Parts: sequence; C-alpha cells; structure tokens
Amino acid sequence: MWTLRRLSRPLGAFRRLATSRNEGFLSRLEEELQSMRTAGTFKVERVLSSPQSGAVTVVGGSEPVLNFCANNYLGLSSHPALIQAAQATLASHGFGLSSVRFICGTQDVHKQLEAAISTFHGTEDTILFPSCFDANAGLFEACLGPEDAVISDALNHASIIDGIRLCKAQRHRYNHMDMAHLEEILRECVAKGTRQRMIVTDGVFSMDGDIAPLREICDLADKYEAQVFVDECHATGFLGATGRGTPELCGVSGRVDIINSTLGKALGGATGGYTTGPKALIDLLRNKARPYLFSNTLAPSVAGASLEVFKMLSDSAGLLSSLQANVQHFRSSMKAAGFKLSGHESCPIIPVMLGDARLATEMADEMLKRGIYVIGFSYPVVPKGAARIRVQMSAAHQPEQVQRCIDAFIEVGKAKGVI
Amino acid sequence: MARMDGVAAVRLSLLAMWTLRRLSRPLGAFRRLATSRNEGFLSRLEEELQSMRTAGTFKVERVLSSPQSGAVTVVGGSEPVLNFCANNYLGLSSHPALIQAAQATLASHGFGLSSVRFICGTQDVHKQLEAAISTFHGTEDTILFPSCFDANAGLFEACLGPEDAVISDALNHASIIDGIRLCKAQRHRYNHMDMAHLEEILRECVAKGTRQRMIVTDGVFSMDGDIAPLREICDLADKYEAQVFVDECHATGFLGATGRGTPELCGVSGRVDIINSTLGKALGGATGGYTTGPKALIDLLRNKARPYLFSNTLAPSVAGASLEVFKMLSDSAGLLSSLQANVQHFRSSMKAAGFKLSGHESCPIIPVMLGDARLATEMADEMLKRGIYVIGFSYPVVPKGAARIRVQMSAAHQPEQVQRCIDAFIEVGKAKGVI
Repeated sequence: MWTLRRLSRPLGAFRRLATSRNEGFLSRLEEELQSMRTAGTFKVERVLSSPQSGAVTVVGGSEPVLNFCANNYLGLSSHPALIQAAQATLASHGFGLSSVRFICGTQDVHKQLEAAISTFHGTEDTILFPSCFDANAGLFEACLGPEDAVISDALNHASIIDGIRLCKAQRHRYNHMDMAHLEEILRECVAKGTRQRMIVTDGVFSMDGDIAPLREICDLADKYEAQVFVDECHATGFLGATGRGTPELCGVSGRVDIINSTLGKALGGATGGYTTGPKALIDLLRNKARPYLFSNTLAPSVAGASLEVFKMLSDSAGLLSSLQANVQHFRSSMKAAGFKLSGHESCPIIPVMLGDARLATEMADEMLKRGIYVIGFSYPVVPKGAARIRVQMSAAHQPEQVQRCIDAFIEVGKAKGVI
Repeated sequence: MARMDGVAAVRLSLLAMWTLRRLSRPLGAFRRLATSRNEGFLSRLEEELQSMRTAGTFKVERVLSSPQSGAVTVVGGSEPVLNFCANNYLGLSSHPALIQAAQATLASHGFGLSSVRFICGTQDVHKQLEAAISTFHGTEDTILFPSCFDANAGLFEACLGPEDAVISDALNHASIIDGIRLCKAQRHRYNHMDMAHLEEILRECVAKGTRQRMIVTDGVFSMDGDIAPLREICDLADKYEAQVFVDECHATGFLGATGRGTPELCGVSGRVDIINSTLGKALGGATGGYTTGPKALIDLLRNKARPYLFSNTLAPSVAGASLEVFKMLSDSAGLLSSLQANVQHFRSSMKAAGFKLSGHESCPIIPVMLGDARLATEMADEMLKRGIYVIGFSYPVVPKGAARIRVQMSAAHQPEQVQRCIDAFIEVGKAKGVI
C-alpha cells in the first residue's frame, strides 16, 4: 500500500506543498491582471499563420488581411533572397554557436557583417548585439561614469531609458525635441564641471512619427562639447535619400558620434542589433558591454542573411521610392478626407489621431472586419486623451492595398463621426 | 568657343575651384568639425583600453570559419582544433535535424516578423513552442524572450515591488544582477550557496514585514560547475513562505535523469516556482530564452515585461527548429549518456593525473584550477598548439588567485577526442609544473 501510494503520488502532491506558499504571490498577480482587464489594457495576441508581408493570414480568420502595423518598412521580412541566404548560411555555418562572442562565438560572417554595417554608415567599426534593446542596455554603463552627464529626450525608447538607469552618469531629461530646454541643461552641465556630456535621442519617435531635430542637436553639441547618440531603429535603410537614416535626412552625415540600430525592423526583421561609431568606442564595448560579454552571439544564419540585406541596400532606390510613394499616397488622401495625422511627412509611421481610447480600439476592430489589420494605442503607451491608430507603411504594400486601407478608414471614420 | 575677358575668366576659375573643393570635400571635413568635440571622449576611451592591454585583460576574438561542433576550424589555422569551451552540451548547434527544421520554417514562415509579440509578432510556431516548453518543464505556461539575458532583465521589475524582497546568491549571473538592479524590491545577497546566511536573511525579511520574498539562484554556477542546493532552498522557501526562482541556462536539456535540469537532479521537481532558461546553449545555440511557471505570472509578463513589450519577437526559423529540439529531448537518453560518459572520463582521468578540479561530479562544466592568471593564459596557448581550444579565466571574471581553464564537455565529443584533451593537459601540466 505504502509503495502504491508512493508510486502513484503525482507531481501534484509536491505542487500542493508549493502552492500553499504560492497563494499570496499568485493571488496578487491575479488581482493585477484583473485590474488590467477592467481597464481594457490587457493584451490579447493575434496569431499569424503566414509569413510577415503586406498581406497576412490570422489563425481563425478566413481571408488574408492587409497588415499596416509591422516594422517591415522595406518588405524584406519574407523576401526570397533573405530566405535563401539564411538557408545557405545554415548549411555552411550551422544553426547556432552556443557561445558568447569572445570565447568561440565569432565566425567570419560576423566580422564581415560588422564591416558591411560600418561601410554603410561611414563609421570606423561596428559591434553586433542580440538586439538593439541590448545595445542600448549596454552602451551607457560601458562608456560613461559618475563625472559625466547623459541628457535624454523625454520620449526616448524604453530600452534607452533602461540603459540609462543602469549607468552611473548624472541623468537629465529634456522636454520632447525642445532645443531651448536642451541648451539650458547643457549650459548647467558645463557650469557644473561635468567631464563629458552625451545627448541621447531617438532618430524617429515611433509613437508620433516625429524626426529629431538633429541639425540643431549637433550644433548644440559643437557649442557645448557634447557627444551625440542617435537610435536609428525606425530609420536605418529607408529614411534619407539613400536610406542612411535621420543623419542623412537632416543633413548631418558624419556629425553624429554614435548610432545604435537594429536588424529586427526594416533590415529583415529576424533579430539582432548594433552600435556603430569610433573604433575606440567599439573596442571598449567588446570588453565592457554586459549584453555582449554575457549573452549569446548572433545566429550565423541571421548574419549571413543580413550581409544580403546590406548588398540590397546599396541598390535600394526602387524600394525607397515605392515606400515614399505609399507614404505620400496615404498621408495626402487621409488629410484630404479630414483625418488628423501626426509625424514628419516622409515618415512611414503615420499616427491617425483619435483622442479617445475606446474609439481607437473600436475603430481598429472595425478596420479588421474590413480586412485591414491595424492596432489602437492608448494610455499608458501614449498620453491620456491622445489615443491613436498607428499606421506603418511598407514598400511591400501595393498601391491598391494602400487605397483599400484609406477607403476602410474613411468608411469607419464616417460611421464613428471622426470625419 | 568665344574668348572670355580676363575678369570673367578669373570668376569662372574661382567658381570652378570652389565647386571642385565643394564636390571633393570628403566626409572628413564634417568629421573634423565633429572630431574636435570628440577628442576628450575618445582619448579617455583610449586610455581605458590601454590599461586593459597593460593588465592583459583586453579581449581578442578568434574567428571561426566552420560551424560549431566538437572540432572547429579557426581562421588562420591550418588544422581543425577540438573545441572544449562552447555551451554546446548536447552537440545540437550544427545538428542536421535542426538545420533542416530551420530551413523548412524559413520557407513556411519567413525570415523575420519585424514586430513585437503583441502587435503582429506571434505566429503559430511561437505558441506551439511555448506549449512544448511548458510540457517539458511540467509548468502551466511559458513566455519567450529574445534571450535569457532579457528574460532575467524583465522578470523582477514586472512582478516585485518596494514591499517585496529579492534574495540572491552572491555569484548569480550578470543578467540576474542587472534584472534585480532594474527592479524596485528590497535587495539582499547571500554568500554563495550559504544556507545559514540565506535563512538569516529570510528571517529578517519576515520580521520586517516584507510582503513577499523571492529566492533567486543559478541552477548551475558557470564559473565553478557548482549546483545550487535546491532541496535546502525549497525547504527554506516553505518555512519562510518565499518564491523560488532558478536560472537553468547551464542545465536544461542535459542535467538530471531526463535532462529536466537541476530541479530533477536535486529531487525537487515541482517545487521550483519560476524557471528561466535559454535556447542559446544546449538547445541549439542560435538565440532565444524563456520564463516558465504559473499562468498568472506568464500573463503578467506578457503585459509588463519590458524586453517582451519593446523588443522584436523570436525569429520564426528559431521557433521551428526549437520545436524539433524539444521532440529530440523526449528521446535524449543517448545524448545524455554520451555526455555523462565524457564527463566521467575527463573528470576521473584528470583527477588521477593530479589536477585540481572544481564543480559537481555530473556537471559538464569542469574548471581546471590553476591559481595564477598568467599560468592560465600560457597553458591555454600551449593547449591550442596541441590542437585543443580552451580559454583561461582570471580576474575580474573569477576571484584573484583563482584563475582556471574552464573545460566544457559536449555529447558531440568522441571518446578519443576527450582522451586527446586529457593527454594535452597532462603534457602541458607537467611542462608547467602544475602536476
């Protein structure tokens, strides 16, 4: 009997023992989840059964829907050339390296990719990270100390905020794109005798489609001897005449000191990020950046496919003009229809401003019924009363698909009294 | 062409010169402007780099030209070398089945998703993989992250507040330290694997009226090959009503009778509340990490964990290949026994030869303790000359005077390859007076 009881005692018995000390913990988590559901902020994930493209298939949906909420700006996320390059690199370089870079995690393809990225940006060297989130997390702590100041736009990306929280420099925040406030802070920092100052900004602010005033920022950096850091995740590959991003668009190529960007948006969308800039900084990051030293190297297949991406970028005029054509088409038609839009006229992030959170969610649902996949954004992601549907254009969208999106917005907008 | 008068000619040539200068002004001109405000910054970086070179801590990366396996080719080397310093414990990093699965998923699901999970970054393969991981660990649910580094960075801030206490082993992984730094809970550290110290801290936390307490430990400590005393930790957790978190990166797939990791090895399956682990070591080695545990926690992380909300979803091909990995793990007895045979072979021969080893007898992380940093580096160089690729570790990665060569076994190593490694150690060890 004892043996039978022992043998039949399921995992559950142990779990009951564990459960009693879990109850408080789990019930507090449940309470928090319940208040999210009540507030309407609990996230439900839609599940795709197709690759990422202009049109996608959602599990449970009968028809494909047009996707206007991916960071797939150049349409490369399921491009045959990238798929082939990744498959070939799997065959030649294996699936994974199971190592940090400095032990046995560096293959020839990683060095080639770092060189290709440096060439593209016109910088001295580049260091790869598992993501730009990690590049941002690692940078500031590695190169700034308590005698330094980091001066950051109030609306910078969450990963920059986290990276700055992990560093020991004095922290300052300037009001969003407010150059007078930035200058005031720089003046104070110089007066206080800070050793060095670093101005930190997104190139493109992804909730508004704003572009940072880089010319003014670089001028202030010259005046007060500061470094300029720009996060180019929503710019690299497709903003500026040759896709070199916001420095090119703003006419300050070569005046930005440090660029962080991602391979996980326009440049294929699989994974990976990087820092590019002076060799001394890159060497330092290889020796000090925690996500580089203590996290796995980039998968070989992603490195190989990304080399293909940078080849394509050297001849990207067609993609860039398709994307800009879509951006102009959408922006001008929506404005003409009476919608309030946000952001720079060239930016493929096009927030349709609605104000009320419930309205944003209901409109997004109505759009989906019409085969258009968009998402409403509300508090706390954007300020209260500033809810929006954020539309993202892709070079992969056909003009008739963009028109369908516009038509659906007009139909739903009229029904909801927005226009 | 009509003749120009002199003034016009001068004007024209000035215009031509200005135009030529303008057109030929390289990026360098702008960079000179930038450089003057860079000088201080860059020269300070150079100073720091120079002191690293002087101290011998400046890292130089070797470049591989082959896939990761028991034997690898290094750029500039004529012969393949045997690799004993990868986290490739099951030898899966270049396994044909994973390569095929990844290639097939590229064809069916594309290269990338260019989206965070909750917008349009979840495919069926991600949900299938999360379910497979939950089944493997016997948990309610799983959430994928770009890496376990990110899973660790995101967890504590999402589920603990200022009224809570996080109590962490002093030698936990850097990513856990960073995750704890980002959270608002009261922070405590207990001496490495010191259960008396842990109990003292737990007692204090209860006395102080903390809302909840979370004990945080690596399952396997990767510089020493130690295994956390999970049974004692779970007993203390029961006594003081605390949660138990274990980072299983150096255990999942290959420790314990069925590769379920340190909870299985320590006989506490089902008593560990939260497990973080990685797909980037034994389970294929490409990328990816996860948290697995109660559904309420996983749901909360999906809504609050910053690296989940603000970073790209796992690449489809990695999700597809990882499904293949978990299928293989359900029939991994062969791999596990190959790995253990290699571990026993190496540990017993090296001990018999007179080397001082560290770590648990089953652990495929086998530090060969040498003490002196320079000795460790020189021995690693001599090993490479004999075709064995290992790395010396010294301060600050390990304490001063405790430098070591950290050997990592793989199921991919053939017995004769392990023997070659032992023979090389013995030869070099004798030459250096270590044995």
